[in-house]
Amino acid sequence: MPNPKSIAVSLFGRLRLRQSGGLGGYLLVAPYLLHLTVFFGYPLLFSLVLIFYRWDIITPMEFVGLKNFVRLLRDDLFFRALLNTGLFLTLHIPLQIIVALFFAELLNRPIKGRSFFRAAYFMPVVVSGVVITILFQQWFAFDTGLINRMLRALGGEPVPWLVSPALAMPSIALMATWKNVGLYIVLFLVGLQHIPKHLYEAAELDGANAWQRWWHITLPMLNPAMVTVVVLSTIGGFSLFIEPYILTGGGPLNATLSAVLYIYNQAFYFNHMGYAAALGFCFALIILVVVLLQRRFVETDTWS
Amino acid sequence: MRQLGLYVLLFAGLVVFAYPFVWMAIATFTPEAEIPELTLWPSRWTLAHYRLVFDRIPIDRALLNSIMVAVAVTTSALVLNSMAAYALAKLHWRGRETVFTLILFTLMVPFLLLLIPLYTLVVRLGWTDSLLGLIVPFMANATGVLILRQSFLTIPQDLLDAARIDGCGELRILFTIVWPLSVPALVTVGLLTFMGSWNEVLWPILVVRELKWMTMPQMVALFAVGGGAEGQLGPQLAAAFLLALPIVVAYLFFQRYFIQSFATGGLKG
Amino acid sequence: MRQLREYLGLVLLLSGLLLCGCHRPVSMPAPAEANVRLVYWTAPNPDEVALARALVAEWNALHADVQVVVQPIPAGQSSEEVLLAAVAAGTTPDVCSNIWPGIVHDFVKAGALLALDRFAGFDSLWNSRIPPTLHEVFRAPDGHVYQLPWKTNPIMMLYNVTLFKEAGLEQPPRTYSEYLEAARRITADTNGDGLIDRWMGYRDIRPIWWQRYFDFYAFYIAASGGRTLFDARGHLALDTVASNRVFEFFARLYAMGAFPKTSLQGGGGPFIRGQLATDFTGPWHLIWLEKNAPSTLRYEVAPLPVPDDHDGPVYTYGDYKNIVIFSTTRHPEAAWRFVRFLVSRQADRRLLEQTRQIPVRQGLLEDPYFASVFAKYPLLARFAEQAAYTRSVDSVPDLKELLDAIAQEFEAAAVYQVRTPSQATRRALRRMQMILDWNA
Repeated sequence: MPNPKSIAVSLFGRLRLRQSGGLGGYLLVAPYLLHLTVFFGYPLLFSLVLIFYRWDIITPMEFVGLKNFVRLLRDDLFFRALLNTGLFLTLHIPLQIIVALFFAELLNRPIKGRSFFRAAYFMPVVVSGVVITILFQQWFAFDTGLINRMLRALGGEPVPWLVSPALAMPSIALMATWKNVGLYIVLFLVGLQHIPKHLYEAAELDGANAWQRWWHITLPMLNPAMVTVVVLSTIGGFSLFIEPYILTGGGPLNATLSAVLYIYNQAFYFNHMGYAAALGFCFALIILVVVLLQRRFVETDTWS
Repeated sequence: MRQLGLYVLLFAGLVVFAYPFVWMAIATFTPEAEIPELTLWPSRWTLAHYRLVFDRIPIDRALLNSIMVAVAVTTSALVLNSMAAYALAKLHWRGRETVFTLILFTLMVPFLLLLIPLYTLVVRLGWTDSLLGLIVPFMANATGVLILRQSFLTIPQDLLDAARIDGCGELRILFTIVWPLSVPALVTVGLLTFMGSWNEVLWPILVVRELKWMTMPQMVALFAVGGGAEGQLGPQLAAAFLLALPIVVAYLFFQRYFIQSFATGGLKG
Repeated sequence: MRQLREYLGLVLLLSGLLLCGCHRPVSMPAPAEANVRLVYWTAPNPDEVALARALVAEWNALHADVQVVVQPIPAGQSSEEVLLAAVAAGTTPDVCSNIWPGIVHDFVKAGALLALDRFAGFDSLWNSRIPPTLHEVFRAPDGHVYQLPWKTNPIMMLYNVTLFKEAGLEQPPRTYSEYLEAARRITADTNGDGLIDRWMGYRDIRPIWWQRYFDFYAFYIAASGGRTLFDARGHLALDTVASNRVFEFFARLYAMGAFPKTSLQGGGGPFIRGQLATDFTGPWHLIWLEKNAPSTLRYEVAPLPVPDDHDGPVYTYGDYKNIVIFSTTRHPEAAWRFVRFLVSRQADRRLLEQTRQIPVRQGLLEDPYFASVFAKYPLLARFAEQAAYTRSVDSVPDLKELLDAIAQEFEAAAVYQVRTPSQATRRALRRMQMILDWNA
């Protein structure tokens, strides 16, 4: 198979363009823009139109005006899904930050084999979510699951991880934290390593103890990394889908019904395309608002 | 003493993050009845689970599909993203800033919003149950353009001017001068795109129904959720292990690049 | 300009490379003068595929002018999704015999199916094969018939004779009280580790709507004496008394631990290992049992339990699969001839023998032609008897979502008992009415 680079070079070796003047610029950016128009612009526009229609793909589209939104406001399952997603984020993000900070601090010390440990902690991040979910499906199982067996061997009671409506979402949050924390350890580590040492030396001279040094120097200096971690976790958390899809199907009692899973069900199980588009639209708005609020409140200007 | 405590904690972390994989690997060779046992080491090793997986589902075909899709998406993403990034970074043309803002905007729109229309578009084009439906919608991405643009901006203008005076066309400049100087960024974008494509499971579930066009994560997910494994743990874990294996092997060799790429991608995102 | 031309060259090159990845749909245009070629989709499970191939081989040998090609519906996700995508893309086959009645309504609305009652010989076929009780069930609202009932799988109670005998019960339970009493006696912790490991039965408790066919919906049809969710005029007419009783029945079972709340290994494994005393299933399961059950296992089949004050025959849910001809076909007459062949007596007997599923044919048990099959598989005869007393799903839009509403309440009231049965029925009704109103 010919190397695309050599094709390009041979075909266009003589392509001359003026430095400013643009034709080259337009030509080069055109394929990307074309792709953007067809696979982003068109779907986005269609999506905005679809929210006013009723459609199940095989029959013609039917205009229903704002009916989808009226339905949305009375749909308790959608609100439940939003609540579940919110619960997930509330559990997942703080846990993530605490664990990631902890291990990043450990790795920041003068130790041998830092890259070995870092690589081990990071491995769950690259493995597919499907693998992690199947793994934890076995570990969280009530009677044959490994965790419960260990608990029973130690004399404790088995925990209904995925079977109890109260514990199901926390279990998924735990699993998601385990999977992703490696990335955030790395991000915090990079942030830690960029803090100038002289700041600590100066503080020590002034008589600050370890805790004070940490609170007044480390945390504020980590703020950019913190913002990144929070925003990434949030966006990742909002797209929670494959874990509940495989583990619980959204149960028990809709405790793990995430927003994306609900929208998926509406669109591809019940074939309510227009309604699902309306749900997606509202959900996207909510994500936007939350992320904007986060940036406002987590970023340094409001910290001190 | 503090050093010892430090290492104890680090090793505890190692156990927490690595033990599950070790357990999974061993469990796939453990007889079904023994898997829930607390003892890690099986009484006898068995290949039965793998045999069932290979019997039931064409997982090798799925592996091939995943590879083809990921390679195609990554190659085309590198080419298209570079072209756009170069145009945005080093060329001057009217509307350049507008396009850049537009690309920034696309990052804010969650994929969910596009899911349904994209799906119907693919259905209308007849691309369901084919690799086209899996490849084409992902042939370019905004994050890649941003990362590459960032990297291209640092390339000295004189190099490019010299090449132009020599008579090189812009595309030739891009592939023969800019690319070699931007290898870290290219590796980052390539790796991120590859991993993203490899692990993508929601889109294939929508677009592909036939077993022979499924990607690997999709097939393993359906195997676990559907009745294919007949509720047995061993085959499910075996399928999951097979899914994890290629990436883990690549990771063991290239972990530095993986970690760097994800970190960069995270920071830009 | 030269650069434009060269640039276009690159674009064409890339497009060409892309097109190589194109996957062409399977249906090929019928050649003008050659024979007729029909595409026939069958369910993807191995027994039905084998049956289809055998039938089609027979047909092809007899009809050189109309050749049929068998294709299993692409295995993967549910057949309904595959069919829906095919309808949307226009890639439907000529004939399909794996149609669940619940989707026919949508397909008819989309104009995807041909009306079968327009073909010659339809009336005689309809009257001779289909039991009169089903004549109106499968007629569409516009008066035409778009689906030909092919086979049915009545849901009945499979039970382990030995376990019952050991519990002092010679007869299978016929009423709720008898079933609950048997559950009390049979549910036990046999190895003394503090956990129950022998249960009365098992249901997949995840709120998946079609799982409810095997518990709520089947029992509801039995308890209500043969009513479904809608009445003959198409109005929602849930029998709330029956619904309450069914919720109550399962709630008691879950409360006493007779049905496990955690997921057991699937398939038929637990039943053949003696971990379950009963299972609610259909005749398709008989083949699996024959292959996998140990010779020491003695099992029998009986109708579903009903409320104590029930009288009259016991109805149940019949999982029907029907035959349709898609409107994309180029040879409707040839397709109809093939369909008639699929429901002929010979084909029906093959269906019985090879897949152990019940053809929708009246007088099955009286006809000596089929006697040998029932003599060989006596349990099959029970299912055949039940087949006359089955109900299918109502043909309404959004059926899946309606059943999903019920599944939610089943989970709440029966499995987790966070609601009383009557609360669950009320809520189910309310949500179903909301769904109907939204989609009116």
